[in-house]
Amino acid sequence: MLQLDNVSVTFNAGTPNEVKALQNLSLFVEDGEFVTVIGSNGAGKSTLFNVISGAVQADSGRIELDGEDITFSPEYQRSHDIGRVFQDPRLGTCPGLTIRENLSLAAIHGRSAGFRRDVKKAEEASFFEQLERQRLGLEHRLDADVALLSGGQRQAITLVMATLTKPKLLLLDEHTAALDPNAAEQVISLTQELAEANDLSVVMITHSMQQACDLGDRVIMMNQGKIEFEISGQERANLTPADLIERFHSLGSGAELSDRQLLA
Amino acid sequence: MAVNSSAAEPQQARSSNVLQGFLMRIIVLTIVIAAFMRFGNVNIGAIGQGLGYALAGVTVFLTFRVLGFVDLTVDGAFPIGGAVCAVLIFGGVRAEIAILAAFVAGSLTGLATALIDIVFKIEGLLASIIVITGAYTVTLHIMGGKSNVPLLGKETLISRHSKDFRNWLVEQFGDQMRRQSTNLLEIMIFGLIVIAVLLVLYWFLRTEIGLAIRATGKNDQMVRATGLNHHMMIIIGLMVANGLAAMAGSMVVQQFGFADVSLGFGLIIRGLAAVIIGEVLLRPRTIGQLLIAAAAGMLVFDISRAWIFSALDLPTTDIQLVSALVVLAALGAPRLYDQWRSYQQRRN
Repeated sequence: MLQLDNVSVTFNAGTPNEVKALQNLSLFVEDGEFVTVIGSNGAGKSTLFNVISGAVQADSGRIELDGEDITFSPEYQRSHDIGRVFQDPRLGTCPGLTIRENLSLAAIHGRSAGFRRDVKKAEEASFFEQLERQRLGLEHRLDADVALLSGGQRQAITLVMATLTKPKLLLLDEHTAALDPNAAEQVISLTQELAEANDLSVVMITHSMQQACDLGDRVIMMNQGKIEFEISGQERANLTPADLIERFHSLGSGAELSDRQLLA
Repeated sequence: MAVNSSAAEPQQARSSNVLQGFLMRIIVLTIVIAAFMRFGNVNIGAIGQGLGYALAGVTVFLTFRVLGFVDLTVDGAFPIGGAVCAVLIFGGVRAEIAILAAFVAGSLTGLATALIDIVFKIEGLLASIIVITGAYTVTLHIMGGKSNVPLLGKETLISRHSKDFRNWLVEQFGDQMRRQSTNLLEIMIFGLIVIAVLLVLYWFLRTEIGLAIRATGKNDQMVRATGLNHHMMIIIGLMVANGLAAMAGSMVVQQFGFADVSLGFGLIIRGLAAVIIGEVLLRPRTIGQLLIAAAAGMLVFDISRAWIFSALDLPTTDIQLVSALVVLAALGAPRLYDQWRSYQQRRN
């Protein structure tokens, strides 16, 4: 499905501020697999996502999605097959546009925009159904400005937008970090539902050890631009947050956990 | 959608309230302006002039408000449009075709700014200043190296009908209308053009491309994440916007009866003022209302300026200073009001 071969990214190369964000990183994600990624600040998790989605270009290495080499394709083209949800709830939806307009924009996904009417009567039933499934009551507020919604509501809509046209891969970048615990829980269960219903491959960065243990099939721990360890199979099934934190500390220098990660 | 009906009703009621409020404000504004003109002794020519420039107000609305792109290209697109139109009409081309040609020339100016922004990653403000600077020479070349092209005796949209219209008007309403016939004709023809353009834009902004353009101005990250090329949206947006500025230029040239290389001077500021006046006075909410407000703002600007001229009995040499002061009032007054309000709140 998704394959990264020896991908490296260096920022400010050749200056005193040089940062090796990714160092010869290789990663393989299978069809329908749900992978969680943990790591301290600056471990390269977000750079990993940016290089997969095309927001950052790889300095070397090769990226393949579903057998297709996407190493050099521009960000918007990769987005045809990759759905993304960001940490900041404001990034995923467009304020000033209604929920309906945001969803309609996401529904263009994979085609090019044309002179058809922006919001289509035919889509309404499917939007209604998708939002109804979230049990947030947003299906009755299709014409409300997205700017009026809470962070959790916006994140839920972003999730629906990202999965509306069944992408091959879903990237979740700490998408519950900015939400209150209740909203975070709701968004997480919605994430699981959508991933299962659409049989998506998912890579999720998380700051929460609990989430890393509860969700998905495999945990990846990143440190200094490299994958430090992976836990899968039986070991993953029995994994507790305490185990993870212990493994984390055994890495020694460079792998600092923030309070936020320990407490969440 | 049967399920939706219960919740859809209050939503519709709310949107019709928004529409009603907007229509009320338009009616009140119209009455106030009419009274102003009647008692302030403002010639109705100011309306025709405002309509001629109205599309330039829409340009600024599209670039600053919809695309979120600080674009000054309007200062260059406007005289280019005027020059193209004047040269074509001078050469015997029909006025309608000359206006369309002006639109194309203006779009190319917008394209230049967009490409400089995208290819060289030079921000819009600088990119458009570069384009305006170059556009000055282009305008001079279009006009055959002269800084002015007169259209005396040529057939423009206005002059084509002016004689017939004057005769008809005098026949119907008597000789006192003779003096106003050109002004009335301008209002009618330009009014129709502006309404037609606003309708097309209203349709355009509600297509998929239009939606993507609107989204690009608010959150280009999200546009990329939905698989759309936001650069393309900036290109299309700037081309349409500056095409409209050039169209305004071609209308004003036919009104004045000549094209001049300095015609666009300071237009960006007038456009900004028009957008803000429209927003403050009409408080538009939907796309259609925002479009109307931008055009109406230009009308209010021109009428206020004409009123100041007639009230203070100023010579035409003072026109730019008066423009600057009207713009300052339009931009400054809302901010001053906000500051005063927050000061009041802090005191209580």
